[in-house]
Formats: sequence, structure tokens, C-alpha cells
Amino acid sequence: MGEKTQNFQAKIQRVAGKIGENKYLKAVSNGLMSTLPVMIIGSLATLFANLNFEGYQNLIESAGIKSILTAMSTMTIDIVALYAVFFIAFKLASNLGEDGSGAAGAGLISLISFMVLMPIINTEDIRAIPFQYLGAQGLFVAIIVGLISARIYMVFINKAWTIKLPDAVPPTVSKTFAGLMPAIVIVIMFAIVGNLFERTEYGSIYAFIYTLIQSPMQKVGGSFGALILVLLVMQILWFFGIHGRLVVNPVFLSVWMPLGVENLNAINAGLEPTNIVHTGFYAVLIGIGGAGATLGLCILMTFFSKSKQFRTLGKLALPGTIFGINEPLIFGTPLILNPIMFIPFVFAPIILASLSYFIISIGVFPILNGTHIAIGTPMIMNALLQGSGAIVILQLINTVISVIIYYPFFKIMDKKAQENEQSSAA
Amino acid sequence: MKNILLVCAAGMSTSMLVNKMEKAAESKGEEIKIAATSGGEIKKYIGEADVLLLGPQVSYLKDDYTKQYGGSDGIPVEVINSLDYGTMNGEKVLNWALDLIN
Repeated sequence: MGEKTQNFQAKIQRVAGKIGENKYLKAVSNGLMSTLPVMIIGSLATLFANLNFEGYQNLIESAGIKSILTAMSTMTIDIVALYAVFFIAFKLASNLGEDGSGAAGAGLISLISFMVLMPIINTEDIRAIPFQYLGAQGLFVAIIVGLISARIYMVFINKAWTIKLPDAVPPTVSKTFAGLMPAIVIVIMFAIVGNLFERTEYGSIYAFIYTLIQSPMQKVGGSFGALILVLLVMQILWFFGIHGRLVVNPVFLSVWMPLGVENLNAINAGLEPTNIVHTGFYAVLIGIGGAGATLGLCILMTFFSKSKQFRTLGKLALPGTIFGINEPLIFGTPLILNPIMFIPFVFAPIILASLSYFIISIGVFPILNGTHIAIGTPMIMNALLQGSGAIVILQLINTVISVIIYYPFFKIMDKKAQENEQSSAA
Repeated sequence: MKNILLVCAAGMSTSMLVNKMEKAAESKGEEIKIAATSGGEIKKYIGEADVLLLGPQVSYLKDDYTKQYGGSDGIPVEVINSLDYGTMNGEKVLNWALDLIN
């Protein structure tokens, strides 16, 4: 490895470190990741409420199961922004040094702030909150409000602009009062902002942010070009030994997750899902076996290695790979800074993404339902969660393609390793 | 008792290494506690750790963690050798970690 490569690697590491450790970006990705239970409950409920077997729908409707499932999906994924705002503020306050109860206070303030911005609909006999802004369409507002309110909260705490009680008062009580001052100021501020937006032609900050920022960003972020770009960045980072997904996670989650939620919402409303690209699409059809679609390589190593080195590594790595964890392969092969494996490692995911995108867009395979897949969900199962058995078939096809892409490069590498083993044995 | 803490992105691949290290530790006849966690959860575990080891995929976090937890009055903060990590060589990483503590 030349000095230039090493310098370059060090430079990339510094940049990745800055992004990975940025307290605000980390709060967004960790906050969104904290909504995982919400996402999983909602996705499973959606899945089981919408299965299309002969007689199944009649059965669950007459048994009253359908309405239970609908309640579970409506109150989870349909209002995911409500949960997200709390956790984003919570994580930012923790990142900025607040302890658990203080961070929870920041979370509560963000939740109130999020709600005071909400337009209320008054009809003759009902006062209503528009559901769409509590869900996918409100996620960008949740991110903005979560970050701003927690940041201001921390200014108050750090400057000690709080209500101070005499020392004789128990610390728990004074702690409650300490959070009161920032709460009042922040909520008043957001209430005024909400009122100002109500006077615009948009009617609310939600409509404003969604129309001007979120919707265009999702259009760009959900496009084929962005898909390829994200994969390229992720794989090149991995090639230099950096956890690529972790670095692109803020974009990955804040743009691709709502796209998945929109699909689930559409299905619940009896419509067809429309977003091809979302987090589930990546997990199920591209990152098969982990970053780089390395399941193909792992299969080759385990069953077709002539060298002892790679056969042992393949067997060691296979169980983890099926669950999408491939660090043993990445560092054990190694794939990092390995000039032979650069091409398949970077381009296998891009080829799989292109083929899958194409074949889904022409309608041969269905659009994936948008379920967000937690890291560590085994393959086949993660495909089934996308709402159709056909996805399992596509995943297996992609696995075969991954084997084919890795094959010639694996052969070269395996032959070298075998020669080394023979010469050292002789 | 010695306490070793491993950190990676989600705490998943390091937990595979932890299993191997625990097996190696059993034969040592010494009480050694080994845990794996993600970067986000580190605060929960760092208090009792005697050494902090990073997975090579998050090596870029080393400077930051050294600033927070390392230094003259802190604990050793190091990145695990990537080949040992990849081949899940529990024994080697364990011995190295014990050397770092001593």
C-alpha cells in the first residue's frame, strides 16, 4: 500500500469521523432509529391486515381482528413523526451532555413545540388534528423542531437561565423547576412561529416545509440517480475501511425511511405503494449479506474455495452473513484496500440496485411495501416482510447474480492464496 | 475482575468476537467480563470498563473516544487489528486486551 493511499485513507477517516461524530446528525439518525419498535409494530400490523389469501380477509374482518390490526398500524407508522420528534430532541440533549431526566425534559418540550405548530381543523361537530402531519409528511418538521428546541433548551441549561430555588428544596423539585423556564420560552416561540405560518398561503409550517423542502428532497433522494450515488459513497467508504452506512445514515434514514412509510400508508389506505427506493429496498435486494452484497462471495468461499484460508473464513462468516453482518468477510478477506476486490465490492450493489430498480419499475416484480428492516434480520424473512413471496424470489435471483459478479475476482484471489499455501508448505 | 468493552456500529459484529473471547477467557481461570455495545450506548458501559476496544470499521472514532475516556487518568483506547477482527481471533484479541490493561 503506497504512502499516497495511506494519506488518502487518513483524510477520508477524518472526514467520516467529523460526519459520524457530528452531534446534530447523530441525534437525527439515532433519534429516527429509536422509533424502530414503532416502525416494526406498524409494519407487521400492516402486513397482516393486508395479506391477500383466499378467505383470509373475510376471516379477519368477521373475527374483528382487522380493526385491531388497523388500530396498531394507525397509531404507530401513521403518526411516526410524533415519536421521532421526542427521540431526536432526547438524543441531541444527551449528546450535548444532559443526563437521562434532563434529556427526557428536552424531549417533552420538543413534543409540545411540535404540537403547537399543528393546524387544527374545526368542523361543525369535530375538532381534528390532520393525521398526515403526524406521520411521514411531518418528519422533516419533527427533525427541525427536535433539533432546534433541544438546542435552545441546552442554552438555557448551560447558561443556568433557570428558576432557582433555595438550597433547602429537594434536588428533584428544583430539577423540575429548572426545566420550566426553557419550556415556557421555547413553547411560546414555536406557538408564535406557528401563528405566523398560519397567515401565509401555506396555512401551516407543515405544509410549507413539506411542499418546499421535504417533497422535493424525497423526489431527488428517491430517484435512481440518488440511489446509485448513495451506494457509491457507502461502498467507497467501506473500501477504505470506514463503516459507510453509519456515515450516510442521516440521509439514508431521513429521506428513505419516510418513503417507506408512505408506501405502508398507501397500502393501509387501500392504494398501491409508489416508492421503489426506501430503506427496505436496500436491505432486502441490495445489501444482501451486508454492505457490498457479499453473500455471493461468502457462498463462493464456503463451497468453492481451493485455499484453506478462504474456506475457513467462509465457514466462519456464513452464519453472520445470512443475518446481514459481514465484518468478518470485510476485514478477514480483507476486502478493504484490496485492489482485486474493489470492482465487485463497489459495483455488485450498484448492479443489483440497477437491475432491481428496472425490473420493479417495469412491473415484473411488485414494489416493496416499505417495511424498515432492522439490522440483523435474516434474509428471506426480511424479503417476506416486504409483503410478497415474489420478493423472496427476486432476493434469491440477486443472490445468484452476486455470486456471478464475485466469481472471476474470487477465482484470482483464491488461486493466489492457494499458491501461497503450497509454497509455504513445500 | 477485569472488564473489557468492545464498540462497533451496532454492537453486532463485535458481539460475535465477544463470544470467541469469552471462550478463550474460560481457560484462563481469571474472572474477565467482556461486553459489546454500539457507539450510542457506550455511556452505559464505559464506567466499569478497564479497556475500550474499537472495531476497525469505526476506527475513526478513536480520537474522539481517547479525548473523552482515554488520556493519562483514563483507560486505554485502541482499535482492534482488522485481520484478527475479520478472522474472529478471540484468543489473540483477549491476550492483547489483557496486556493493555496491565
